[in-house]
Amino acid sequence: MSISLLPDNPATWTYRRFEDLYAIPREEREKLQLEAVRINFAKLRDRIPALKKLADRQGVEAIDRIEDVLPVCFDHRVLKNYPIQIIENRDFAKLTGWLDKLTAHDLTRVDLTGVTTIEQWLARLEAYGMLVTYSSGTTGKLSFVPRSYDELGPWKFHFFNVNRASSGVDPWTTKLPTFFPGYRGGYQTMLKMMSLFNVEMAGGEANYHTLYDTHIPADLMALSGRLQAAEDRGEVMSLGLDPALLDQREAMMRQGRTRETDMESWFGKLIHDFRGQRVKIGGTFADLYRVARAGLDKGMTCQFAAGSIVEGGGGMKGYKDAPADWEEQVKAFFGVARLGNQYGFSECIGNAPMCSHGYFHFLPYTVPLLMDGEGRALPREGIQKGRLALVDPIPTSYWGGFTSGDEVTIHWEEDCPCGWGGPRAAKTIRRFAENEGGDDKITCAGSQAAYNEFMEFVAGEA
Amino acid sequence: MELPMADALDIPIIARGRVIMPGEDAVLFKGRGGADFRQADPHRHIHDLVLGDTARLRDLHDTPIREIIDLLAELGKRLRLEDNELLQQSFALALKAGGLAEPILRGVYDALPAMFDAVMMTGLVDKTIGLDHLDGWVPGQGDYANVSIRAVGTRQLHITAGNVPVVAAMTVARAGLTKSDILIKSPSNDPLTANAIARTLIGLAPDHPVTKHIAVAYWKGGDEFMDSQIVRTSRIDKITAWGGMSSVRHIQKFLQPGIDLTALNPKYSMSMVGSETFESDAAMDEAAVGLATLAGFYNQTACANTRIIYVESDCDEASLDKVIDLGRRMVAAYDRLPPLLSVPFTVPNRELEAELVAVALEDDFYHVEGDTLKGGFVVSKFSDRVEFYDKLSNRVVNFVPVDDLTDVLKWCDDTTQTVGIYPETIRSRLLDLFALAGVQRLVSLSGGDPMTVYANSHHMPPGSPHDGIEPMRRSVRWVVDMRPAPDGVALGIAAE
Repeated sequence: MSISLLPDNPATWTYRRFEDLYAIPREEREKLQLEAVRINFAKLRDRIPALKKLADRQGVEAIDRIEDVLPVCFDHRVLKNYPIQIIENRDFAKLTGWLDKLTAHDLTRVDLTGVTTIEQWLARLEAYGMLVTYSSGTTGKLSFVPRSYDELGPWKFHFFNVNRASSGVDPWTTKLPTFFPGYRGGYQTMLKMMSLFNVEMAGGEANYHTLYDTHIPADLMALSGRLQAAEDRGEVMSLGLDPALLDQREAMMRQGRTRETDMESWFGKLIHDFRGQRVKIGGTFADLYRVARAGLDKGMTCQFAAGSIVEGGGGMKGYKDAPADWEEQVKAFFGVARLGNQYGFSECIGNAPMCSHGYFHFLPYTVPLLMDGEGRALPREGIQKGRLALVDPIPTSYWGGFTSGDEVTIHWEEDCPCGWGGPRAAKTIRRFAENEGGDDKITCAGSQAAYNEFMEFVAGEA
Repeated sequence: MELPMADALDIPIIARGRVIMPGEDAVLFKGRGGADFRQADPHRHIHDLVLGDTARLRDLHDTPIREIIDLLAELGKRLRLEDNELLQQSFALALKAGGLAEPILRGVYDALPAMFDAVMMTGLVDKTIGLDHLDGWVPGQGDYANVSIRAVGTRQLHITAGNVPVVAAMTVARAGLTKSDILIKSPSNDPLTANAIARTLIGLAPDHPVTKHIAVAYWKGGDEFMDSQIVRTSRIDKITAWGGMSSVRHIQKFLQPGIDLTALNPKYSMSMVGSETFESDAAMDEAAVGLATLAGFYNQTACANTRIIYVESDCDEASLDKVIDLGRRMVAAYDRLPPLLSVPFTVPNRELEAELVAVALEDDFYHVEGDTLKGGFVVSKFSDRVEFYDKLSNRVVNFVPVDDLTDVLKWCDDTTQTVGIYPETIRSRLLDLFALAGVQRLVSLSGGDPMTVYANSHHMPPGSPHDGIEPMRRSVRWVVDMRPAPDGVALGIAAE
């Protein structure tokens, strides 16, 4: 007997155990998903100005087949298609006006008095009822996810469940001291999720250990490219930035220079202090491998208690020429049997946990679709490779359909030996642009290169 | 590597007069647009590709430049598409692999013979190097008669660009004209043009020193083995790299003192329109034709194509309506471009379309019209270019209003190649400012007729600078021969 779910409020699906969600028969699930997406689109179509504009332009009035949703999925660019000049001029009224078109909330009522930084702006929005987070892609431009407190409940339920799925440990009941070799606080999506969820999963602030107790301010992330270019021209002062921000930038760059050694000594202490205890270790795989490699070189391995977990992400981005067996090395160093992993978009609530056989399984409240190079839907059968779109029917304050730049292979038949159901994505995921002659792609000098330089510096790679 | 593909073309390595067809060791290469080809494995032919001993340049060194010009002029006559089978083959492949539509590509090929015109080549050499400097030691004047200078040929690697096949012809001509030994690394989107020209030369004069100093091969960009073997001071003196930064980056790993790199980086071009333009319909139309021509020629695949148009305009609605009007007139004027300059696209550019759709949703900030088939434009409603300006193609441009055209200086640097301007009255106040900022060429949008605008922006005297430098002058070695000074002169200097 499978569980009964209603299409009207997919947020409530997140209250259910992931095992039960995966066990819903395919036909039933797809019917439910179509109905949920149909209802959600009908509710939001004319309430979210940007969605209305796109839907009008594409001539989409309603969703009758699941593929109908593709033309009204937001391109990932939509969450950052404000002019960068707004950020440079710190024109928060305009930025708010831009964001207002992406949410059902009325942002014209947000009091912006005295707001001079992005961080303050995000805090003001949060006070109003929004939960806007940002991520910065390869260009440094911030993309803002227009989430609000309306979505907090399902977001949290999902996140706890997906962590149980990928690690095998139930964070509702088992609180593990957690180590995260990165920053703390702020509104970057992952860091905000840490404050909202991970700290509670660890059993409180005291149990959550980060390499640094601060974060890179969003303002610095957003302007790093422009700052570097201005510095080259000797015009930093003419940008009219708060001197405190420039001091912070200096401090971040200093920190970047010592990051690798800081991380080693920080980890070294934790490894010593928590010997024999059950712990949880998070971070990007690149960082985790760095620590593991440095430790193994010294002949060290960790002596944590059985049942400790490593939960990584981000692939090996930021680590050049990793050996083929890096995963084995990470497991050997930390003394764990598996590496937890998840895949998703920060725009969508339902990221997919990796199963014991190395596949990312999508939960019913995340509807994956693949497109070919021309934007046409690929059949949902067999094994298909294409550009991934995800539709998240949970949000009630913003539209959850997004197309990505990721090339993903999906197995549609539910025959994974791990026992979980649902469509599953293979581990190898590439940026779509890399397959379109990306090697020869010409980028102009200036901001992109400068941004990368700065970020490499801060990440301790330069 | 798998062999052989049904429709993969066999391409030879050209090794200084010899044609090495793919044999047992052939390798299949993936070309663009499914234009795959087979070639002998370049890893096994390093010694056929590089000259090595500089003494072997002697034959070319001793050949009078006049004789070389005559030979190249004769070669030019044989580079007519209608009766050169090798060129027909390369044309077919470039059509399949490259980004140019048939009528435009045909126009480019039709221009090949003119590039080998004897009068033009003579002017080119004389202006940039000096005929006498190539053929002998030229003594100094007066007190310096004991000091002679000669331009000596070098061993060169050319990493050529494929977007316009002219580059292959230009490279072959410049090699002979500088009495240099060249190895051309062909691009994957035009693997055959240099090849066809070199083979035509072999047919014409198999034993001539110029023929004996041209090698052509394809290898994958970033092939470290090839780069490490070839880019050595014992084998190469000069490198000219066209196009993508990635090709330059790979090569840079192997650069060392003694190897001179001329990087003809990717360039961007733009136009500037003064506020006077909006005062009359006639001026709007003339500017629109100029813009359509500079944005549209070669279907916007060249670095000299306008992609961003800075207009002197306020950002209020009435002013922006006029800018939109100018954009509409420009798109309408695309229809007036002759097919050998520009034609509508048959395949949309998905990536650019996605960018256009994304900014079109933001009508507070952008006004978008048109598409990537017929061409179109984005008007920024504030003074900044779109962030995807480096993706503008398919005859889509970005109009950016600025208070004053000198505001544009902040977007100019050494990547800014050609700047079209309208009307001519703004030129004098802009010329020196923009020259200092890094731009390399100012041209005119005036004329009101596409062929006039095109000719005015392309008709330069032989030996004019390219991207702000003089590549020919730079590709020879300037050697000084100092003999003992007559008595008195040397003493005079010593006493100073």
